[in-house]
Amino acid sequence: MKGMSVLLLLISVLFWGFAAEGKLTRPANGLKLIFKPVFRGGSLCLHTQAYIDFHGDTLYVDALRFYISSIMLKSKDGGNYKKIPGYHLIDAEDSTTESIRITGVDEGTYTAIRFQIGVDSLTNVSGALDGDLDPAKGMYWAWNTGYIHAKLEGHAKVCPTLHQEFEFHIGGYLPPYQTIRSVELDLGTLKIRANGESVLTLHCDVSKWLAETDLAKTNSVLIPGRQAMKLADNYKEMFSVCTIY
Amino acid sequence: MNKNRTTCLVLTLLTLVTLVAAVSGPGKEIRFAVPQSWPKPKYDFKNNRLSLEGFELGRALFYDPLLSSDSSISCASCHLSFTAFTHADHKLSHGIEGLRGTRNSPVLINLAWNTSFMWDGGVNNLEVQAINPLTSPVEMNSKLPELIAKLSRSVKYRKLFFKAFGDSLITTQKLLKSLAQFTGNLVSCNSKYDSVMRREPGVRFSDRELEGYKIFKSNCETCHKEPLFTNFAFENIGLAGDSILKDTGRMKITNNPEDSLKFKVPTLRNIEYSAPYFHDGRVNKLKEVIDHYTSGIVQSPTLAKQLERKIILSGEQKKDLVAFLKTLTDKSFLYNMQFRQAISF
Repeated sequence: MKGMSVLLLLISVLFWGFAAEGKLTRPANGLKLIFKPVFRGGSLCLHTQAYIDFHGDTLYVDALRFYISSIMLKSKDGGNYKKIPGYHLIDAEDSTTESIRITGVDEGTYTAIRFQIGVDSLTNVSGALDGDLDPAKGMYWAWNTGYIHAKLEGHAKVCPTLHQEFEFHIGGYLPPYQTIRSVELDLGTLKIRANGESVLTLHCDVSKWLAETDLAKTNSVLIPGRQAMKLADNYKEMFSVCTIY
Repeated sequence: MNKNRTTCLVLTLLTLVTLVAAVSGPGKEIRFAVPQSWPKPKYDFKNNRLSLEGFELGRALFYDPLLSSDSSISCASCHLSFTAFTHADHKLSHGIEGLRGTRNSPVLINLAWNTSFMWDGGVNNLEVQAINPLTSPVEMNSKLPELIAKLSRSVKYRKLFFKAFGDSLITTQKLLKSLAQFTGNLVSCNSKYDSVMRREPGVRFSDRELEGYKIFKSNCETCHKEPLFTNFAFENIGLAGDSILKDTGRMKITNNPEDSLKFKVPTLRNIEYSAPYFHDGRVNKLKEVIDHYTSGIVQSPTLAKQLERKIILSGEQKKDLVAFLKTLTDKSFLYNMQFRQAISF
């Protein structure tokens, strides 16, 4: 009798667990978009993993953070982009920030994805904002107001700085130094089903951000300007499609 | 039975308390009043629901040294109400541990009309201006996440935030928006000049003030545009360069050599009480300010066009101009108890 009640209890707990699970993992018409930081194909490991850049210099990455906004999907038939609102701060230090769940996408086949790296100019002049745009997130300049679109920090022996550090804080929303960048990636075929979540994983390859940078010469870019424009052009090339399912 | 009755009573009371709490916040919305014939303000309270509770929270924060890293400095340390919210007798102000800044503390007057903030205009919205003094290492030296944690530990502030926003969760956004409700309401529009312009009965300029107004109109008005007494532009007014601070002003923001030595045109309202003057507080008297424009201009490639023509004023004319400038004093602003630190017993 006792054994029976324990079994019943177990079954009900399991059932409850499944029910809860089902609710969580089956958003209708969903897309899970994952930004996976890598260095030349291998997972990006902050602080401890040594990497070699295109110049042959050894470096360590200490921080990688960037904003993703204006996500749009190009549908197979219409060719129209569906704009998905929201700003997402991707932080390599916190893997929970690397996936963006998008719900309410129309069922169908999509062939390309477009998004912006950074925060648009209207948002830059909109005062105190919340969530991922909270100025306390450390992606905001107070003295020359505006968001830092993307941040890359690390250290390398070749850097002639106090602690061999390199720091790239890239921002600027005013002409002629607008550093917001658009990325468009061909998806082949991405199917959004009526019930279920599709998963699109993108790689963000830090080696490409540094591709044309000689850390011995360029190691500190912390204001909007010509150098920031050049680095923004580089990090635009960081993204590639890894898997779709 | 007795026990049941007590439980019932406690439950009823709890429900009542919750209900009262729910209706007591946030407070009633107040409309931001624009003085008659003034332009439309740049700051829009539509995106920052203005209420007495929000203003009071902003006021409490403005006067609280808790906002600095060592709880020694408040906003009001360098922005005193009776000197039009500048720092009396300080060319440059000092933050935590007596550390000195590089520019004269500006007046906080009619900020809702400002198109940019700080002497170099680097700040684009009233709400985010406060991040600068809050986090500057030579001013209040706070880190925003730590400051939010500090405020969240205070029962007083959890209550005040609840009253203002209907939610006791303290965020950077609410902190900044409530500060903007206070600073954005520091409106000065009741000087003698305003009464004369509004043709209020029995108020008129004296002969000296009227002469001064004419001099002002023909020499100063392009930049210090009425009724706000600034056009919010950036100009190089020909001050001699300094070898210590080497402050290039606006150029620090734009990186454009054409902006070298330009600073924001300040309002002249309440100028009688806002000494010392200029971006680095280099002069103390109104007469010295005027003397600079008549005989102190240093030529340089970015000098304001308006100052290329020499301004010539006699001693009497300078006195007239000073008399006019003093008509911009608004005692109802300087002595407004609502702008002072709230007294709590």
